[in-house]
Amino acid sequence: MIEFTLNGKAVRTDDDPGTPLLWVVRDTFKLKGSKFGCGAGLCGACTMHIDGKASRTCMTPISAVSGRNVTTIEGLGTPDELHPLQAAWVELSVPQCGYCQSGQIMSAASLLNKNPTPSSADVDAAMSGNICRCGCYVRIKEAVLTVAGQSLAYNADEEIKA
Amino acid sequence: MKAINMSRRKFLKTSSVVGGGLVVGFAMTGCSTVKLPIEMSDYGFVPNAFLQITPDNTVRFYCPRDEMGQGVTTGLGTLIGEELDVHPQDMEISFAGVHRDYKNPDFGVQGTGGSSSLKAHYLPLRQVGANTRALLVEAAARDLGVSVGDIATESGHVVVAGKRFPYGQFVGTAALLTAPEQAPLKLNADFRYIGTEFSRVDAIAKSTGTAEFGIDIDIPGMHHAVVIRSPIAGAKLSSVDKSGAQNMPGVTDVIEISSGVAVVAEKYWQAKTAAEKLDPTWDDVALAKVDTSTVRQDYAEAMKNEEGVSDTDEGNVVAGLESADHVIESEYWAPYLAHAPMETMNAIVRIENGEADVWSGTQGIVAAQGLVARFSGIPVEKVRAHSTYLGGAFGRRGTLTHVIEATEVAVASNKPIHLLWSREDDIRNGVYRPASLMKIKAGVKNDGSITAWQAKRVGGNITPKTLENMMPALFPGLGDGTIDFMVGLSRDVFASWVVDHSSVEGLYEDYDTANKTVDHVTVDHNLPLTFWRSVGHSYTSLAKEGMVDELAEKVGMDPVQFRVNNTQNNPRLNNVIKVGQQQMKKMQPAEGRYLGFASHHSFSTDVAEIAEVSVEGNEIRVHKVTCIVDCGIAVNPDVVRGQMEGAVMFGLTAALYGDLDLEQGAIKQSNFHDYPILRMGEAPEVDVIIIDSGTEPTGVGEPGLPPIAPAVASAVYKATGQRLRSLPFKLA
Ligand code: FES
Ligand code: FES
Repeated sequence: MIEFTLNGKAVRTDDDPGTPLLWVVRDTFKLKGSKFGCGAGLCGACTMHIDGKASRTCMTPISAVSGRNVTTIEGLGTPDELHPLQAAWVELSVPQCGYCQSGQIMSAASLLNKNPTPSSADVDAAMSGNICRCGCYVRIKEAVLTVAGQSLAYNADEEIKA
Repeated sequence: MKAINMSRRKFLKTSSVVGGGLVVGFAMTGCSTVKLPIEMSDYGFVPNAFLQITPDNTVRFYCPRDEMGQGVTTGLGTLIGEELDVHPQDMEISFAGVHRDYKNPDFGVQGTGGSSSLKAHYLPLRQVGANTRALLVEAAARDLGVSVGDIATESGHVVVAGKRFPYGQFVGTAALLTAPEQAPLKLNADFRYIGTEFSRVDAIAKSTGTAEFGIDIDIPGMHHAVVIRSPIAGAKLSSVDKSGAQNMPGVTDVIEISSGVAVVAEKYWQAKTAAEKLDPTWDDVALAKVDTSTVRQDYAEAMKNEEGVSDTDEGNVVAGLESADHVIESEYWAPYLAHAPMETMNAIVRIENGEADVWSGTQGIVAAQGLVARFSGIPVEKVRAHSTYLGGAFGRRGTLTHVIEATEVAVASNKPIHLLWSREDDIRNGVYRPASLMKIKAGVKNDGSITAWQAKRVGGNITPKTLENMMPALFPGLGDGTIDFMVGLSRDVFASWVVDHSSVEGLYEDYDTANKTVDHVTVDHNLPLTFWRSVGHSYTSLAKEGMVDELAEKVGMDPVQFRVNNTQNNPRLNNVIKVGQQQMKKMQPAEGRYLGFASHHSFSTDVAEIAEVSVEGNEIRVHKVTCIVDCGIAVNPDVVRGQMEGAVMFGLTAALYGDLDLEQGAIKQSNFHDYPILRMGEAPEVDVIIIDSGTEPTGVGEPGLPPIAPAVASAVYKATGQRLRSLPFKLA
């Protein structure tokens, strides 16, 4: 039995401890916002925050998140209450097919938590693990830089602890 | 949390319809007895295909085309909303199931592709909107006791003497009236939404993880399936020892299916780990003797020794070449490519009580329905096919072998099945952009006029394989023998009699000369082939534009001016080139950066691109791309820009990295480490200039791709003196 915190709620699962977090979140806890893209840590579609840090959860066994805080796109904002990054994504019509975007937004949120005023090169470096096959990079970067510098209070406590 | 409230705007819902209201469709069928699409409730009037307006003034649009990122829900929502006077963001947009009224007017079947949607639906969907509006106005006139002439409409409301009444108030009366068939359409000058910019209607769902893709479907009792397939296309299972997988935790079934061995488990990860224990053997097939070097050698020999089949023969090429002051001949190569959409192939199939449901993101949901019927034996009318968002497609989601697999597994295991391909499956067991060897021999006079254009292409054709995949789906009742016969026939026809035009499109059309020939030699090594974003244009553009650069250089002319001079017969392309020329004149690239230019006509749209490039060591860096596009009326200019930006990135991935190797018939690459996709740090800035030519809209999903590789090649030539004629680009 492994226990951790998922979007602020305590959860437990008896899934095999070697199961990647991505599949436990999707299949066991039925949160489908985080996506499968490569299963090998190469594309970022599965990005969630573990204690505030962007992590490739297709490669993270749940044994490694025991007792930790996991945040998914569902924990960042909702259609009625968008996180500022999500609002910028909407405003700039960033998504095309949309499949990579949960991962993109989670990587961006983690970057801004660490570095609220990133340079263009910082954004490139932080986002280089996230592939967008539709090629929305120009807008993703613009959206991140638009939000940079605004106050982002999401999960600030955990972020600082991490 | 600093939250931003966006709740006024509706986001795209894929849930089923509840409640009633006015349902209208002015069908191409024109028949009110046709069964409703599965998503729609049947309350009210002429139950049919596109619109539903409920008493609480919810306006729902059933979008007949598939949303794969190209913005079709926004685009088509804008067309219908324009005439209905409802803002597209204020509609709920649902995906259409299978229904005869949802056929693509361009194809005659329910399918999405070929950058056709806006062009094909531009007038028909506006007409649906206009007819519905007229009906609501008529109903309002009766209910309010005023004349039709006193009524205006605005944002989902009827307006009479300054007072607003929601459309929903009149649906009861409207349901009793007969709709006009040809209500007048707005003049372009009166457009409120067409041509304006607002965020995509699916942006909120896709920024919050709430957009539902095929992979996200979760139904009660669902089990997960993973299939082990032959590494070599077409090889059938010879033997397998199932015991290694059978006893793994969660595994319920290990089943032989047509494509290999399926492992079924309660959870995906259990199926995946168990499947890795299998080590099946496969029958031998001819492809097993083929390496990339075999393909290249066979193509080169065919280019040299075989005449091929004629696609185009205009004027007198021999005389044209003789009259030239210079003749240049060059060969160009493009490799096999995978589409690699971010969402890998998947399908969910449930078979229960002689009926079936299938969920999948496809470029033709009717084909999913047909395949489930064919492979389950359930009559097609008892198969409910549900569309979802597509996590990218680019031509890949027209081939639905995963639906066949899920159906076979659901039948054999007697369980609802969610079947998912891995990335390795996607790259190794896919359907591919054909490899191509092209040769162009062209003549030019010293005054810069082209005297002859002789083109030839060697490679496989996409149409026979596409038929092989589509026919069983579209004609579930047709016997296997008949289908095999017809597919075989199409293969022979394209090998020996006529050219599959998609194999050579874009190789010769754009430039003026009276003397042109295009010949084609089919050499096919049995790797499955299909459409890939911009199809033949994805490789022919490099040959055609590369040759034009060489001709211009030969006669000492500026290559852009050379293009202007030689496109007099294609005025829209000519204009796009001229606008590009003006842009380029204004540009002052920094030291060490070079500008390359290319243009191309495809899918009825004209595009020119200017690439700003530097070369450091052996590395090509593209810093900025300026894209000039004429696609007629830009229904939503921001969506057009997005498609151009995306096509540039997709084309750059192919130009700089895209390569698949065959080793003893198997694809060598497997995931994003050896099949790289452009990443943010390598992505250029993209400027898009849309030319407002005011004509009906033409394609935007694909036409941005063809010019980018030749534009980069042209810049690299300036930087290094090397002509790049082989994809992906490698500097010597
Ligand atoms: S799915 Fe995890 S990095 Fe690609
Ligand atoms: S929006 Fe399609 S992969 Fe990024």
